[in-house]
Amino acid sequence: MSSKTLKYILKRILLAIVTVWVVITVTFFVMHAVPGGPFMGEKAISAAAQAALEAKYGLDKPLLQQYFTYLKDIVTRFDFGPSLKQRGRMVIDIIADGMKTSARLGVVAACLAAVIGIPLGAVAALRRNKLIDKIIMVVTTAFVSMPSFIMGSLLLVVFAIRLAWLPANGSTAEGLILPIITLALYPMAYITRLTRSSMLDVLGQDYIRTAKAKGVSGVKIIFGHALKNSLIPVITYFGPMLAYIVTGSLVVEQIFAVPGIGRAFVSSITNRDYPMVMGTTIVLAVLIVVMNLVSDILYKVVDPRINLE
Amino acid sequence: MKKILALVLALAMVFALAACGGTAAPKASEAPAATEAPAEESPAAEEAPAAEEAAPAEEAAPAEEAAPAEEAAPAEEAAPAEEAAPAEEAAPAEEAPAAEEAAAEEPAAEEAPAAEEVAAEAGASSIAVCLASEPDTLDPALNSAVDGATLVSHLFSGLAKWAQDDTGALVIVPDAATELVEGVQNEDGTVTYTYTLRDGMKWSDGKDVTAADFAFAWQRAASVELGADYGYMFEVIDGYDDVWADEPAEDAQLNVKAIDDKTLEVTLANAVSYWNELLAFPTYFPVREDVVADEGWATDPSTYVCNGAYTMTGWNHNSLITLEKNANYVDADKILMDKIEFYLSDDANNQLSNFKNGTWQLIDDVPTNEIAALKADYPDEFKVEGQIGTYYVCWNVNEDILPEGSELEGAEAEAAKAEIRNAISLIFDRNYIVDEIAQGGQVPASSFVAMGMTNPDGTQFYQTAGSSEDFDGYYNVSADALEDNFTQAIEVLKKYYDYDETTGQFSGFPTLTYLYNTSEGHKAIGEYLQSALAGIGITMNLENQEWATFLNTRKNGDYSIARNGWLADYNDPICFLDMWTTASGNNDVQFGKGAHKDVAAYSLDLTDLGLDVKVENGTWAETYDVLIKAIKGCTDNEVRYELMHRAEDLLMSTGCICPLYFYTDLFMLSKDVDGFFSNPLGYKYFMYCTVA
Repeated sequence: MSSKTLKYILKRILLAIVTVWVVITVTFFVMHAVPGGPFMGEKAISAAAQAALEAKYGLDKPLLQQYFTYLKDIVTRFDFGPSLKQRGRMVIDIIADGMKTSARLGVVAACLAAVIGIPLGAVAALRRNKLIDKIIMVVTTAFVSMPSFIMGSLLLVVFAIRLAWLPANGSTAEGLILPIITLALYPMAYITRLTRSSMLDVLGQDYIRTAKAKGVSGVKIIFGHALKNSLIPVITYFGPMLAYIVTGSLVVEQIFAVPGIGRAFVSSITNRDYPMVMGTTIVLAVLIVVMNLVSDILYKVVDPRINLE
Repeated sequence: MKKILALVLALAMVFALAACGGTAAPKASEAPAATEAPAEESPAAEEAPAAEEAAPAEEAAPAEEAAPAEEAAPAEEAAPAEEAAPAEEAAPAEEAPAAEEAAAEEPAAEEAPAAEEVAAEAGASSIAVCLASEPDTLDPALNSAVDGATLVSHLFSGLAKWAQDDTGALVIVPDAATELVEGVQNEDGTVTYTYTLRDGMKWSDGKDVTAADFAFAWQRAASVELGADYGYMFEVIDGYDDVWADEPAEDAQLNVKAIDDKTLEVTLANAVSYWNELLAFPTYFPVREDVVADEGWATDPSTYVCNGAYTMTGWNHNSLITLEKNANYVDADKILMDKIEFYLSDDANNQLSNFKNGTWQLIDDVPTNEIAALKADYPDEFKVEGQIGTYYVCWNVNEDILPEGSELEGAEAEAAKAEIRNAISLIFDRNYIVDEIAQGGQVPASSFVAMGMTNPDGTQFYQTAGSSEDFDGYYNVSADALEDNFTQAIEVLKKYYDYDETTGQFSGFPTLTYLYNTSEGHKAIGEYLQSALAGIGITMNLENQEWATFLNTRKNGDYSIARNGWLADYNDPICFLDMWTTASGNNDVQFGKGAHKDVAAYSLDLTDLGLDVKVENGTWAETYDVLIKAIKGCTDNEVRYELMHRAEDLLMSTGCICPLYFYTDLFMLSKDVDGFFSNPLGYKYFMYCTVA
């Protein structure tokens, strides 16, 4: 790896840290500016109890002091603090629980999307304007435009209620099949379309024509030259997509009652569970930043011509 | 194999669907299931807007629980798709049952044990239910949610418990105590109870349950440091006021002590009729000092030590809590259900899916727009039980609703405002709200203290409320009375506002804003109220806020008129009445606050009840607050109930509370389940259940 590349990566990492810091700061202050508090319920607790709880969790301190304490705890001890709502649980444990499920769901769905999407896209490109290409394009257009709550509900009604083959809740491994399919369909369709157009572009390049002229076999041209180069846009898309589906899709998690991070995130905001909101925001932000960075670096691996500076 | 087939078919289905360009054009040859679903989806989808007007299912649940449910907005949109379910029998893709039948018919020898296994599994008595999402806590002292209370009631054994007698009626019976003793009145008016614990009571880790565990648990639950939502449940015990004094003494604590391992002595500030019921309340359950020293003890089965009918054997957070019969429980032989699985989901549509496919035998929430269909399709399984609570509209007492230029001031202005507010309460058709909007068997309300609260003689408190001989409560809410009510209201309002006889519209009424927390159910009710007022020329805008913001706005009194609801914690009307004292944290109406603080518009005469209280033209603090204090200090039960009726009279005379209906608890229970019961607080009991 050249020093230029290293320098670039270092610069990107620094930028990523700044990004995460900005996210933390904005979230922290916006969250505290929203009306309501973590100890507020339909049935009010007494002022003394409220004060005791605020003192216990340090919420009675000035906001700036709370902010710096929070930053210090994260940086020095990687401590996200206790949840204010789920008393007795630490934020990091709740996030770990949720991420475990969401990550399993997301990684499988992303792999499924890539494994099916890339070959389908390649086939469509190679059979351009043929029947198979048209079918693939219609199908993927439909999947790209169909929101996940419709797809999820449809799968649920057919496979969980009518046929009762699969459970309607994501508490077991079997129960994750339907959410995985629901999550995978959109990126799969998108990857198919991306691969197709990029492949068509590559197939028209001079070096492919040269290879053909030199008598290189069709298989070798496709797998050795065309496919590899046509994957660059797919990689660009794959990183953020992975981050997006790994960090949990609230809609899919709600439909199938999957204990993922998406649900935890949304309920923490409703509950004004400040440490939980901060914790999930930071984890999600870091994931997205890292995925973007990784996909940028992967460009270089796939295509040495790309200059990372 | 089945799973793979399902996967392939799932893909085939979506492909087939998409091949049709996203429309529902049938291509029967490709995937029958795919064509069937959308075909049925379309009528359902058309029904959706109408169905949206249907009931707020979360109304049946405690209002606090409503909050998370409301977040389900995206999933709610999924409802139309699920509605495709009803005519499922018609589906051509019945391959699964068909295949199973074929397998069953096959006389293969291997099939027999499999069938037996299924039977054995059914015989192993387990039940899967879903009440709500992840409970905030399963620490009995900290819990304040109904679903949490159900779980905790299975896990712990307090001095008393809810049970069914031979006739099926709900009663409070001794549990950890040998008997529910009568109190002994002391000279200073306090009352002392001495309980003996049953022999053989053990914690789930095998240690003995002692009276000291109870004493410790109560001191802890009532402490300032714990700051438990339900800490105030101990206010009846002598010493509570000292604990919560502004500057408490170091040794301030509740007057409860363990005389020995088996004997617990507790002294109440004065006798209360609902004391035994409190003993069955989760906040009063025992915990052990060494166990709760670990702050995270109640979040993991390995550290969760309890003394009830069940132990927690698994907690997959946000997904599933498993309870299994506790062999150490003193009455273990009476517990019929071996294992209870509490699945955790707050999505009503998801709950219904799991109920429909038979995975869960009880669900505690149903989609609001499905209520009518469920009542028709599942007549034996759609359950409506009474729940002690009131859905109402509250006014901000400081909101000026007098016509512009009104010269009324002080007490006179307040009296006029009260008359106007009460007149507006008469305009609303509560039967329409219950039958057409809520649809969950709710009962039109004519008083604030809810149905289900009883007088000492067992009669309903709300039926003896108000002064009319002709109807229960403060208004006649029968359908026949609607016209009279309306006429009466118009006559009152005419005194204050200009009325156009030809159009039937008032002018000069200030524009109101109705505040509610975001939910289709609350919105539908708000829209009805809006249209009812628009009919007489009063403009009321609707404003919705997200749950926590809404609570904040309402508590601070930054509203003119707002949606509200209250559920009882125990069967005593005081829990509906003491919330309106000036200093109460639940005094959303702002009685005695702001400008209302100095309004001397109320009178109180208790001399006929033998109390030395007579106030004329007093402020809220001088009347209502005094009255509530008198109730809390009263030892004569009959006088006490009369005082509570008077408190409600005073409250309702302000017109600030406009009750709409009494809550019900809606849930779906499989008809295969026997022995289930629930109590009026909404707790559900599965220990005596059997599943056919």
